[in-house]
Amino acid sequence: MQLVAGADADAFEVILERHADAAFSLAYRMCGRRSLAEDVAQESFLSLWRSGGRYDRARGSVRTWTLGIVHNRAIDALRRSSVHDRRRASDDALEQELEAPERTDVQAMSNAASEEIRAALGELPSEQRHVIELAYFGGFTHTEIASMLDTPIGTVKGRMRLGLEKLRGHLGGWQAVGA
Amino acid sequence: MSSRDPSLDCGQSVDAAPYVLGSLADADDYREHLEECAICRAQVAELQLVVDTLPASVPAVRAPEALRTRVLSTVRSEAELLKSAGSGAEEPRARTGRRRSLRVSLLGAGLAIAVTAAAAVAITINLRSTAHERVSTAQVAASIRGARASLRQSGGRAELVVSGMPQPPLGDIYEVWLARGSAAQPTDALFSVTSSGTASVNVPGSLHGVQEVMVTSEPLGGSSHPTSAPLLRVAV
Repeated sequence: MQLVAGADADAFEVILERHADAAFSLAYRMCGRRSLAEDVAQESFLSLWRSGGRYDRARGSVRTWTLGIVHNRAIDALRRSSVHDRRRASDDALEQELEAPERTDVQAMSNAASEEIRAALGELPSEQRHVIELAYFGGFTHTEIASMLDTPIGTVKGRMRLGLEKLRGHLGGWQAVGA
Repeated sequence: MSSRDPSLDCGQSVDAAPYVLGSLADADDYREHLEECAICRAQVAELQLVVDTLPASVPAVRAPEALRTRVLSTVRSEAELLKSAGSGAEEPRARTGRRRSLRVSLLGAGLAIAVTAAAAVAITINLRSTAHERVSTAQVAASIRGARASLRQSGGRAELVVSGMPQPPLGDIYEVWLARGSAAQPTDALFSVTSSGTASVNVPGSLHGVQEVMVTSEPLGGSSHPTSAPLLRVAV
């Protein structure tokens, strides 16, 4: 990353190659549309390139930093797009919204860590998993979630907290992929 | 399930989970609280580690080659420009990361950062607002007459959306600034526009205490203080 901060395009290409799939996968999961996911991923990587000097190793891996940027950009995109409105009316799993022809591109991640995280999410009580998914992958604010689910705000916050704490318990000392 | 000691709790720690999930509607207030509350900071740090694992749960999709090509093309082009501009052009890029708040007189005669009323087209502020989103429209400098920009604030986030903007001059890039009083604070929000003149830029950091969000044209990599007059100004 020091080389990227020094405007080394070759060094940036390495970063791009290493994290492009994960970044696009997250954007696609959140946006549900390939074109929007591409925009989000592109904007994220260019932002990373232009602000490479801000990366702080002490605050996490390059992948964590990259995916954090993607997450923020995707939330921004969702909150200004009609996709968000469509999702508001739908209670389906977000994964089911992938456009049918694009599902052929989807492959299950094979590494054990991903399986472990999916399993841990699956073991959460559905109401806790639901609010976490709506918040993190759906880009909804806690007040929007409370309104959608007709549930008190305090209950929504509590479910988020309980869900994350249970995930922490399930995952133990597991570290982010690519750390 | 929780192993927390209730005696070490804080009334606002209930916001830690929605905060790390990016879901807390009033995140700016909580961010300020975090600066003072070690209990909440510890909880955020703990939960953030969990949230950082969530991306690994998504189905893997290969990024399109066209995406890689577009990103690399832009990056190589900007790297070439930086190289050809010499080391002087790289200094601002390095300085941008410091995020120092610099005292810059917005009305100082010696600095070309003031936009006079004659040079700007006054546009209505707060053109459209909803319960979830506040939209403020920018003043646009006469030199880019025809451009339009608005600042959209919702859920503790702010986004600058522009249209009809010309491409920045060769070797330049647009930079977003936060004006607090007479100080213009640089951000890492650097952008150019599409061929149709559009862009959307996430305004980083808190807007608490910010009077204006401004955009100037700066050398590639950005500057630590404005080197040209603002092209866009939005009252916050």
